[in-house]
Amino acid sequence: MSKTPVLHIDKVNKAYPGVKALDAVDYDLYTGEVHGLVGENGAGKSTLIEILAGSIRPDSGDIVVDRDAFEHLDPGKSIELGIQTVHQENKLVEGLSVAENIFLYDLKTSNAGFFSLKDCVKETRVLMESLGIDIDPGRRVEQLTPVEKKIVSITKAFSRKARILILDEPTASLDEKGKDILFNVIKDFTKKDLSVIYISHNLGEVFEICNRVTVLKDGRKINTHKIEDIDVDSLIREMIGRSTSSFYHREQTSDTGREGDVYFEVSAYSREGVVRNVSFKVRRGEIFGLGGMVGSGRTELARMIFGLDQRDSGTLIYNGKEISADSPYEAIQNGIGLLTEDRADTGLVLDRPIYENISLVELGKKFLVMLDLPDERKQTGKISERLNIATPSLNQMVRNLSGGNQQKVVLAKWLFANTDIVIFDEPTIGIDVGAKSEIYNLMHELAEAGKILIMISSDTPELTSVSDRVGIMRAGELVKILEGEEITEENVLKHSIGSREKSRT
Amino acid sequence: MNRELNIQAGNGVSQKEKSDKWKSLLLNQNSILILFIVVLGVVVTIINPNFRNPRNIVNILQQISVLGIVSAGVAMLLISGNIDISVGSQISTIGVVMAMIVQKLGNIPLAVVAPILLGATIGVINGIVVVKSKVHSFIISLGFMVVYQGLALFLSHGTAYLMGGKLEFLGRGRIFGYLPVMVLVFFTVVALTHVILRYTKYGRILYAIGGNRTAAYVSGIRTERYIIIAYTVVGTLCGLAALILISQLGAAYPNTGTGYAMDTLAAVIVGGTLITGGKGSALGLLLGVVIFGMISNALNVLNVSAYLRDVVLGLIIISAVTIGRISTERQ
Repeated sequence: MSKTPVLHIDKVNKAYPGVKALDAVDYDLYTGEVHGLVGENGAGKSTLIEILAGSIRPDSGDIVVDRDAFEHLDPGKSIELGIQTVHQENKLVEGLSVAENIFLYDLKTSNAGFFSLKDCVKETRVLMESLGIDIDPGRRVEQLTPVEKKIVSITKAFSRKARILILDEPTASLDEKGKDILFNVIKDFTKKDLSVIYISHNLGEVFEICNRVTVLKDGRKINTHKIEDIDVDSLIREMIGRSTSSFYHREQTSDTGREGDVYFEVSAYSREGVVRNVSFKVRRGEIFGLGGMVGSGRTELARMIFGLDQRDSGTLIYNGKEISADSPYEAIQNGIGLLTEDRADTGLVLDRPIYENISLVELGKKFLVMLDLPDERKQTGKISERLNIATPSLNQMVRNLSGGNQQKVVLAKWLFANTDIVIFDEPTIGIDVGAKSEIYNLMHELAEAGKILIMISSDTPELTSVSDRVGIMRAGELVKILEGEEITEENVLKHSIGSREKSRT
Repeated sequence: MNRELNIQAGNGVSQKEKSDKWKSLLLNQNSILILFIVVLGVVVTIINPNFRNPRNIVNILQQISVLGIVSAGVAMLLISGNIDISVGSQISTIGVVMAMIVQKLGNIPLAVVAPILLGATIGVINGIVVVKSKVHSFIISLGFMVVYQGLALFLSHGTAYLMGGKLEFLGRGRIFGYLPVMVLVFFTVVALTHVILRYTKYGRILYAIGGNRTAAYVSGIRTERYIIIAYTVVGTLCGLAALILISQLGAAYPNTGTGYAMDTLAAVIVGGTLITGGKGSALGLLLGVVIFGMISNALNVLNVSAYLRDVVLGLIIISAVTIGRISTERQ
């Protein structure tokens, strides 16, 4: 490892309306080093790597590569400087060969100007040999295993003279063996004077592969450590930071034994590779939080409970009786509601008026031919008022509302349908503080009224302050249920990343 | 809680909406269509005063009745985000079967009932295949278009079946000696379409499915059922259209319905129905069909070659859709 940084980020700022995504962040990277970048969801890691890839321009600050300082990069410049990003999700074209994917932006042509697969394959072979990789360039990507695909993505990054490799959650789709193969490849690279920025939620991996680690929190750099100078617990503490005192605090449901007989039980839910044998019970009047890292199977579990996705096994018991929910229609008939995470894609009909969106679930539940329009107006108006939806008219198309108000329309829809069990998937994602606390108050009201609430959240303060109990998922399993005094941000994070034990076995 | 913030935000939206209100009315696609109809009517009348002759107007309505009946079904299907380009072949097949019943069995009541039932059956089949195959409905209905066309040829051996003057009342009859029966049927179908789209659960759900099928499904709507019903309605209306058309023509040819697939789509799209679903109205449908009929008739009245007619119609479809798109973007 040499002493000259190949990359130096100097006091980079980036603000979006209402959010400071990066606040005077410094970061440097030495040749031959693996430098980890950690932080909670929304800490600013993605913004930083997008700036390096040239797809986002910083408001101020410098990016110094070797000795040249840049105010900003663009994608072409970034590639020219040898910066390459391997994204978390697979961006390969499945139907094409490995060689074609690797040279997709620079396809080899014969003298006559025709595309030449032979030359592509030959070049790929040379490239792979130099990297010490052994995958047949002629195979189609769809025939590869997840780890082979990841390695092809990395090889692709090297088809253009990469010196700085950004790996964003590279092990997300890999098993333990795949991870080992990948780590060996990374270690080989660094011996050849390549530098790696390693982003991961899995602190175990960070300690295994990185030389140094930088902690980001709310857009600010907290610290950079040599890996041998820090332990997991201190790192977690830095990632959480001091919790914001202004945050909403819900009074926990006073008498937990209240109406203790009525509960909703999820029993032995499984789907291969996604969710493994998850069981838990939620009482009436309780808010059960579900924490864990993005990709730990929380959303998938919710979708399976709601009948939106297939499951291999699992039963639901409500009020002592087994209920079936093999489709959303059935789930709703049996009293289960789901507020999906991506409201524009799965929650709302954007180009229809507010009132039609609010009454949609209720309409689907009932058997009727003719609509009662005046009554529908009255009822949806009441709910809209109760949720304080800011709009001049219920005729307004949902598309024209702000994010917070759109989310309230989704909420209004399920409130109107009045299901006994409501699952919230990231209920406050992308909405402002005012709307957030209104949504928390409403959830509290629903719990008081004896509903059963399950809330998935990646926002740790939200999870710990809104929930009565918090279940933590990791790699598809429900690894821990936190109760009472155990519900702290530190515990949530600790169990989510599994710092005490190996997360993949 | 931050109530004040939200109320302020609300006022902002309200002012913006007020100032946009009359503007959006002007840019409303239906307003544009009505304006177009008026201008076209005035211009053609100046050139040839016969155009606004009541007899000619009834004539136009008669010419568009069959198109209008089929278009109503296609419009409702399009609103749900699905398409059927096999309607012309459906009409041909149903027409051949109907005329066969008349010519071979002489059973007139059966000849009235059979087209409707056969149409409904075809619709159910189309709907189930579209929904279960999960292939885009354009492709499936393209396949069915060929199937039904072939069926019409097979059943008719390529020749015509004659009605022998039976059921002439349906195709050529007039109520009070003035209003053609087929026009009355057309108006009834459009009126029913309006009621279905505006005032029934079924209509409301068609819009929701067309607007965002996944969101509708997540909201507990059994989307597949509704789509099958929409295809059944199309088939049934094809049956009704065939009944009237064959009664009017007095014979069924294996290619009677050719051209209806594209004409209905064109009329429905000119009428402001979004081909991607979620948008459209019975009024727009009526206006689209009327414009279609007016232009054909006007070109006829103005002695323009019948061959040129299609060129003009095609260009008008392109302009109408482009204008519609620009106006919705402005909104």
